[in-house]
Amino acid sequence: MTQVISKSDLMVWLGRLSESHTLIAPVNDAEITLFRRVSNVEDIALDFTNTTLSAKEWFFPPTETLFSVERKDGQVELVPAEKMEESVIFGVRPCDALGIALLDRPFLNEPADAIYRRHRDKTILIGLSCREAHPECFCTSMGTAPDDPSNVDVLLTEVADGYIVQAVTEKGKAILPQDLLKESDVTPPSPPSLSTVSVEGIEDAMLRNFDSIYWERLADRCLHCNLCAYVCPACYCFDVRDYNDKGKIQRVRSWESCQSPGFTTIAGGYDRRAGKGPHLRQRFSHKLLYFPREFGSAACTGCGRCVKVCPVNIDIREVIADVQNLGGKSGQ
Amino acid sequence: MGNNDPFIPYLATVQSVVDLTPDVKLFTVELNDVAVRESFTYRPGQFAFISVFGMGEVPFGITSVAHRNEGLQFAVRRVGTVTNALHELGEGATVGVRGPFGNSFPLEDYEGKNIFIIGGGIGMAPLRPVINTILDRRDSYGELLIINGARTPQDLVFAPEFDIWSQSPRTTLELTVDRGDENWTGRVALVPDVVRDVKPLPENTVAITCGPPIMIRFTLEALKELGFADRQIITTLESNMKCGLGKCARCNVGDKYICKDGPVFDFEQISQLFEMP
Repeated sequence: MTQVISKSDLMVWLGRLSESHTLIAPVNDAEITLFRRVSNVEDIALDFTNTTLSAKEWFFPPTETLFSVERKDGQVELVPAEKMEESVIFGVRPCDALGIALLDRPFLNEPADAIYRRHRDKTILIGLSCREAHPECFCTSMGTAPDDPSNVDVLLTEVADGYIVQAVTEKGKAILPQDLLKESDVTPPSPPSLSTVSVEGIEDAMLRNFDSIYWERLADRCLHCNLCAYVCPACYCFDVRDYNDKGKIQRVRSWESCQSPGFTTIAGGYDRRAGKGPHLRQRFSHKLLYFPREFGSAACTGCGRCVKVCPVNIDIREVIADVQNLGGKSGQ
Repeated sequence: MGNNDPFIPYLATVQSVVDLTPDVKLFTVELNDVAVRESFTYRPGQFAFISVFGMGEVPFGITSVAHRNEGLQFAVRRVGTVTNALHELGEGATVGVRGPFGNSFPLEDYEGKNIFIIGGGIGMAPLRPVINTILDRRDSYGELLIINGARTPQDLVFAPEFDIWSQSPRTTLELTVDRGDENWTGRVALVPDVVRDVKPLPENTVAITCGPPIMIRFTLEALKELGFADRQIITTLESNMKCGLGKCARCNVGDKYICKDGPVFDFEQISQLFEMP
């Protein structure tokens, strides 16, 4: 037997959660769907295939204050970032939940990023299985699936008259609305079929073809627009700067991309990674070779967003296939 | 650092500022918190970030040696936004310090060996604590040969210490400049050519170099001509970096991070990196 919640009771539950927590959920905004704070559950979008941006921004915001600098009686005082609210994020797809699990590896690796850890500790994830897929989706190739409960606290799967409710963690179990759940013998629908790419041996293939002309050729059409990194649930390069607004000083972290010209330029102007080929190779090498070596799996969830947004049609699935078919020398 | 948040620096006060060259100043800072100050220790080759609040934060090799208790020192060349702001600071100014980060020169492993230091310009900053550690434990090491180059005589960074270095036992200091002036009677030659001229023997010797990328490239060639193996040539790498924690991904070179796995590498390790650092 499985536990099911009806569509109207889901809204009752989310309404209750919005009273005890900050509720963050997909909201349609013009032509796009984004995770936003919701005070009225009627604003929640349920008709999306996937959100335009992942929920990454609620753990690793596009810009966030690390600390403020204040002066009291001539003495400098550093004031840590504000405490976060207890939050529930509803509607996270399994690929994006994997993205959060991937971000955990660098950010929680000791010495842990204190602000990221606070975001994580104070947030409960309610996942939503996928009933349909985009043509760009390939999550099953990257170790997750449209109905994968692994990286959320509760997983909901849509069925004819409601949602199957699956508590995955203790944190998830604690927020289940027992009075709204009904026992049911409904079986989950079969997940949508997706495009696939074989990643077997990709690390070795990346190593073998590190010096291939392939990267220069591929990068020839890259515009350095950084959209791929901006939409990626697993990209985490960041910049740190000070902002001084009429004496109100803050140290701010913001999203950055290894595709930015000057990413590796040092004082005096020397750039050890000059040129488009090495820049684009860095993106794929980090995802498919370095991150796996450091943390055990690729820094890609198969969400397909980078494929969808790239203005020059650079497709990570094609890159993975191409590199495996290139005949580079055996690696180090 | 403070508050268990590795992004929050320790507050520190500038104790003194000394002009070393027309564009390099030596800053001595003291950490404000007594308990932090007493537990803060570091090894030659490690680096720390200095904050000028409102302008930003940049990493510098620490140029003092911890055991001398002379304060935490940084030699800063005026080249960008933060270093320009630092140069405007005087005694008593408040800065931030995050660190120490990175590995260090394994000086214990070099005991009994001859040490050959090759530094160019501000590249002498991370080499000074190596020299001073060896001078303070002079009997533990063999010959010490220092080649120090700069653009002009005024740009030789640690000139006030040259007499102490050159008068130490079994120590030779060779200075060279790209362009001399009316008072300069020393060498006018590029650092790699001085290496070729001095011809140190590679046997039982470790070469440690730091300087502009172009100098390092040609110094490496000169050392190899003299028979030095990659493993005997050590350097400390410079990189753009934002965190020092292996997270911002700015300093990664292949699957290594300069901030965590370095900044000190030997050229055998560097030749195994996928990318040229």
